[in-house]
Amino acid sequence: MFKNHLKIAWRSLKKQPFFTFLNIFGLAIGMAGGLLISLYIYDELSFDKMFLDAERIHRINVDVKFGGEAMFSAEASAPMAEALKNDFAQVENSTRLRDQGSRLIRKENSTANIKEENTAFADENFFEFFGLELLHGDVNTALKEPNTLVLTETAANKHFPSENALGQTLILSNNETYRVTGVMEDLPKNSMLREHAVFMAMVGHEDAWEGAWGSHNYFTFIKVLPGANMAAFQEPLQSMVGTYVIPYVQRYFPGITEEQFRASGNYLNFSTIPLTDIHLHSNAFMELSANSKVENIYILTFIALFLILLASVNFMNLSTAHSLKRAKEVGVRKTLGSNKRELIRQFLTESAMVSLISLALAISVAWILLPFFNDLAGKDIKMPFTSPFFWLILFAATTLLSLFSGSYPAFFMSRFMPVDVLKGGGTSNVGGSAIRNSLVVFQFTISVLLIIGTIVVYQQLNFIQNKDLGYSKEQVLVVNDVFTVGDQVQTFKREVDKLTPVAASTLSSYLPTPSARSNTSFFQEGAEEQENAINMQQWFVDHDYINTLDLEILAGRNFDREFKTDSTAMLLNETTVSVLGISPEEAIGMRISGDLGAENPEFFTVIGVIKNFHFSSLRDRIGSLSMVLGDFSSALSIRLNTSNFPEAIASIENIWNQVAPGQPFDYYFLDESFNQTYEAEQRLGKIFIIFTLLSLLIACLGLFGLAAFNAEKRTKEIGVRKVMGANIQQIAYGLTLDFLKLVGLAIFIALPLGWLAMSKWLEDFTYRTNVGVEVFIFAALIAVLIAIITVSYQSIKAAIVNPVKSLRTE
Amino acid sequence: MLLELKNVFKWVQSSSNPVFLLKDINLQVREGEFISIMGPSGSGKSTLLNVIGMLDGFNEGEYNFMHESVHSLKEKQRANLYKEYIGFVFQAYHLLDDLTVEENLEMPLLYKKVKSGERKARVADMLDRFRIVGKKDLFPAQLSGGQQQLVGVARALIGNPKLILADEPTGNLNSKQGEEIMDLFKQLNEEGVTIIQVTHSEKNAAYGQRIINLLDGRMV
Repeated sequence: MFKNHLKIAWRSLKKQPFFTFLNIFGLAIGMAGGLLISLYIYDELSFDKMFLDAERIHRINVDVKFGGEAMFSAEASAPMAEALKNDFAQVENSTRLRDQGSRLIRKENSTANIKEENTAFADENFFEFFGLELLHGDVNTALKEPNTLVLTETAANKHFPSENALGQTLILSNNETYRVTGVMEDLPKNSMLREHAVFMAMVGHEDAWEGAWGSHNYFTFIKVLPGANMAAFQEPLQSMVGTYVIPYVQRYFPGITEEQFRASGNYLNFSTIPLTDIHLHSNAFMELSANSKVENIYILTFIALFLILLASVNFMNLSTAHSLKRAKEVGVRKTLGSNKRELIRQFLTESAMVSLISLALAISVAWILLPFFNDLAGKDIKMPFTSPFFWLILFAATTLLSLFSGSYPAFFMSRFMPVDVLKGGGTSNVGGSAIRNSLVVFQFTISVLLIIGTIVVYQQLNFIQNKDLGYSKEQVLVVNDVFTVGDQVQTFKREVDKLTPVAASTLSSYLPTPSARSNTSFFQEGAEEQENAINMQQWFVDHDYINTLDLEILAGRNFDREFKTDSTAMLLNETTVSVLGISPEEAIGMRISGDLGAENPEFFTVIGVIKNFHFSSLRDRIGSLSMVLGDFSSALSIRLNTSNFPEAIASIENIWNQVAPGQPFDYYFLDESFNQTYEAEQRLGKIFIIFTLLSLLIACLGLFGLAAFNAEKRTKEIGVRKVMGANIQQIAYGLTLDFLKLVGLAIFIALPLGWLAMSKWLEDFTYRTNVGVEVFIFAALIAVLIAIITVSYQSIKAAIVNPVKSLRTE
Repeated sequence: MLLELKNVFKWVQSSSNPVFLLKDINLQVREGEFISIMGPSGSGKSTLLNVIGMLDGFNEGEYNFMHESVHSLKEKQRANLYKEYIGFVFQAYHLLDDLTVEENLEMPLLYKKVKSGERKARVADMLDRFRIVGKKDLFPAQLSGGQQQLVGVARALIGNPKLILADEPTGNLNSKQGEEIMDLFKQLNEEGVTIIQVTHSEKNAAYGQRIINLLDGRMV
């Protein structure tokens, strides 16, 4: 019997190539999309799980407010790790990582530096703690001695392409000598350490051992005993503030108690986050590597489910529509002795066959698209073809899907009574149109929702790009690592300034896009109590900073080379003066110091107030900021007045090669760096567009099939109408209108939902676009237009048939 | 007695008054009979045939088929009953387009769970008997109407039914093809198969031993 089912299924699929194609194509698209998203989600969920005892590892977070500025930091103070291990029985072990950012590295006896983007000091037990093994070298002793380091395999091959790295000497930042004591495998892409390539021995890093409880620069991980209750651990963790931090603060504010410290509105709270939660749930200041948001996982899960659901709905719709043709078969089979169960089995066999063919197609499509998808999602996902688990889940999901999408048509069709469907040529009352119509409404509701989502995400991206940021980010070239030039820095700047395409340039490590930051507490002269402290960014800039970035001075003046006293001058931003509760003019002449608790504090005099500009993400408010003159700079930002960038870059590189022969010339554009800040949103936007198109495509396939069915069902009616004098337009219009009503209903449902969802998404941005009426009008128009195009082909086709032909069916 | 209908009524409710499709039908059919049902369009011929074939129910009265009281059976039991004893022949043949002649013949046996070997034998036997061996791998669309109906009759016969119900079996055929089918029915009847046919044609009706005339759902 089963063989017979297969045979019939195959033949009936072959006999209706158009419907079969719509079904398979729709399902395959939905499945391929679902598969890709599932792989993505699986990858996101797998983050950091490969580490030894990952489920027992937690990171210390520090929530600190001191001097008006609050900060939630992923880094803790240096002595914390040791103290945790000593003081708490449930803490089995602890380790630290001190991020060092990028470093220039060269071989001994070589002048050519190679840049490593991510380096860090790591405690001696770091590798053992995370279960990381070395390919060469001894994992237990590799970081035991000062000035030793471990490289990843890629980094080792980069610096020692043709020799064994182990035992070799490397020079960091032109002045620190290190010995390579280990080479490790590259770190997994789905781990927080994925970008790190160089680990230096913490023992040689003095700051790590000085017991400073006040600054938070060390990623601190603890491994707890199996079964440790982390919720109950949070309370005793707080006791460390009294035990260690307050005594440390008392060095600067003698006699201060924890109560006084907290009473002044300051706080310091320690908490832990499981290692495996970091990637999706942590959004602290200075994360080790960029994290995702669990919200995006939810959004993607919904999109994946929607896609598959849409495809499955298509299948149901097309199958039941198609059942018109199968009604006779059902009737005949029943009179020949088939029971309902046999028929259901047969139709399920058909849907299983369609699903399996779709699956095969979907896997190939997903496999072909994977590189593009990886590119889009910034991932390195591979198809786990060799994993039996993958196939198991795939087939289980496909079986479920085919049962789900096949069951409705199967039960629907097996219900036909022979006496109804065998009457004459009668195939008129197949029924089920209410359900088919609701399915179409459902599909279009989701499509309209996705269209709205896409538009709003792109509007916000557009808003960000075009927002007046208070500085000008276009045509600014930033040359990195200018410190390698040594004392030639000023010469380099002067030579660059002389170039015709250069409007201005400034030496500073501090830029409005992600770059150096330094947060310090300040106090006003005469208000030295710690509750009056002002916490703000302190940026070291030069005289040309304001000009180069087009910042605006609201009151007072810019730094001036004429005034020797400007070495102790300071610029504040608007936020700072409004936090102080004064006007920009009143701020001029104010004296401010950063030397809290010092004997002879050094004071800066405020000479000007600059208009607020966005120096962090538009998700956040603009914080307090101060600028002082500073010498040490790692970047030269250059405003160009030409659009011929290649030529300008070439001439700047030329100068670079003269002043710093052999050093890598590394540059980027400020607006690129700005855009990278919104990479997550841009990815989301692209993903939205792609999956919106897919879902629209699927919905169109369904609508197309349904329109074909509808036209066929009404062949006789159309014939009669034409004989009665209706013209082609009237008939095509009537047929199209039926579907437009459904699309209209879908729009009506989708608009409020879309408005709610996207307003919620925008709430994440402090500075955001408005969701205007035009978004909804546009989304509705797109949906209607697509529906008209899809349906009208079939409507017109049905309308131009000669009535003699259509009425002959009787 | 093969079957007996006693005071069978069938109606549909339309607005307030019931519309009678069958009114007080009393009919006895003995094994081996060949009955023709005649009457104008809408007189209830097909309805009566469907009721006899158990494809359709009725509202009042009794129906006994081979000592089973059909009116008290559940749908599934009824289906088992007609599956076992009744073969249907349709005006529009109703062969399954996706199956070859051979497969169409085999299908009723599949539903009866006849073993493969026996299935093959019976299909071969039937092909032989109807002289359509050469057509066994063709699809219905490749056959003429007369040949299709021949297959339709063969399919009805393959399960060894006691009764064949034919609803205007020659309605779609030309006169020569129609004659062939009627001759076939006659021959089958002589071999002992009970046949009830619905027909418009006096000539075809004459093949039967007994004619039942219907008018507005009533036997006249």
